[in-house]
Amino acid sequence: MSECDLGLATTWFLAARTMACGGDEPSAAEEAAAGLFGRAILGLDEDSCIAAKKKDHMQSLTLIDCMSMAGHLPRGTADQVMTGVMMIAYAAASMQPLQVRWASMLASAMEMSEDRFQRCCVNARVVASMLPHEQEAVGG
Amino acid sequence: MADQPSNFDFLEKYDDRVAHLARQAELYVHSDPDSALFKLRLMVEIMARTLIEMQVPELVDSDLSVMLRSLQRSGILTRREADDMHAIRRDGNAAVHGYDSTTPTAMRRLRDAWRLSRWYATLVKRGAKVQVKEFNPPIPPVEDASQRAARLRAEALEEAVEARRDRTREALLLFGDQDDIPAMRWRLRGELRALEGVAAAAGEPIVDADFVAVVMAMDLEQILEHPAWGQSSQDAKLNVESQFAAFKDAHSDAEAAYLAERAELARDARRA
Repeated sequence: MSECDLGLATTWFLAARTMACGGDEPSAAEEAAAGLFGRAILGLDEDSCIAAKKKDHMQSLTLIDCMSMAGHLPRGTADQVMTGVMMIAYAAASMQPLQVRWASMLASAMEMSEDRFQRCCVNARVVASMLPHEQEAVGG
Repeated sequence: MADQPSNFDFLEKYDDRVAHLARQAELYVHSDPDSALFKLRLMVEIMARTLIEMQVPELVDSDLSVMLRSLQRSGILTRREADDMHAIRRDGNAAVHGYDSTTPTAMRRLRDAWRLSRWYATLVKRGAKVQVKEFNPPIPPVEDASQRAARLRAEALEEAVEARRDRTREALLLFGDQDDIPAMRWRLRGELRALEGVAAAAGEPIVDADFVAVVMAMDLEQILEHPAWGQSSQDAKLNVESQFAAFKDAHSDAEAAYLAERAELARDARRA
């Protein structure tokens, strides 16, 4: 596990948790979708994911730290993180005021243009529409 | 075996159907692990149905995974119980669909079911003091050296699979088992409110919240109309409009709070 992987995993989980906490409590399915996004799209390995979520590592970090780390991500990676964060809100079909605020702050920290932000949102919508939710019957 | 006391005898006075299924699973755990897992799955389904009847009766005919998610959302199922129930559901489904199960898998789920039973008993009889002895694994039938070696190998494999599964789960989930989610939620929401105050005082950042809200509203409307959610255009529009209005209210409140604070400071300055 490199420091770079740990940094990305930390940024991802902090940003994703914040979006989740801005809305209602996320279901296990939404939580797992967030994890899968980290593994499959951001390419994080298991060790980085586990290390990033260690209490003593995460506890000292604030949202300002998260925005600062997000601001240093390469453009492509930043877009992926933004997409994943929006996917969490969309998976619950939720746009609570604090979620809107977090999306605005994070996109701005990444110095996104409005067009770029909208593109991330379109991708997030596509991913979110593939996720199962309460009204659906999934596998018994 | 049948004459031995069962780990689930205590459950009889709380729910005899569930107790009966659990005892049957216990009986089959060595001789027929597939059947044991099937009985345990049925037991979990009855537990979930009973709890749903108490809490969300309109979902009583849903399938098990939907009922479990709903119970989890309503806070009745904690993460630990939900994990145990999903594990039994998953292994029970595998057994029903013809995948070979092993005794160690069935034994692990039996132990999960025993833990769930104690929790379930306290829920169905509120305030009941449930007295339970330690879990006592059903005694295996007499086995020769090669059978014993095979069983130990299967147990070691089961341990390894379970450890692997735990690790994957730990990597995937947004929050860890050790995390105090309500405390974390409280802290993060506090920080977000502070950022809201900063935006009101210092001006909106590059991608302003009004723009974000409009984009989200348009996307959510499409998501709610997607067949997965199945809302009519009218319902989707109403849903999104109410969320958008909540955002606007919160946004105006933050602005008003900032303006009030600024006016107060100006008054203080004039008085000084």
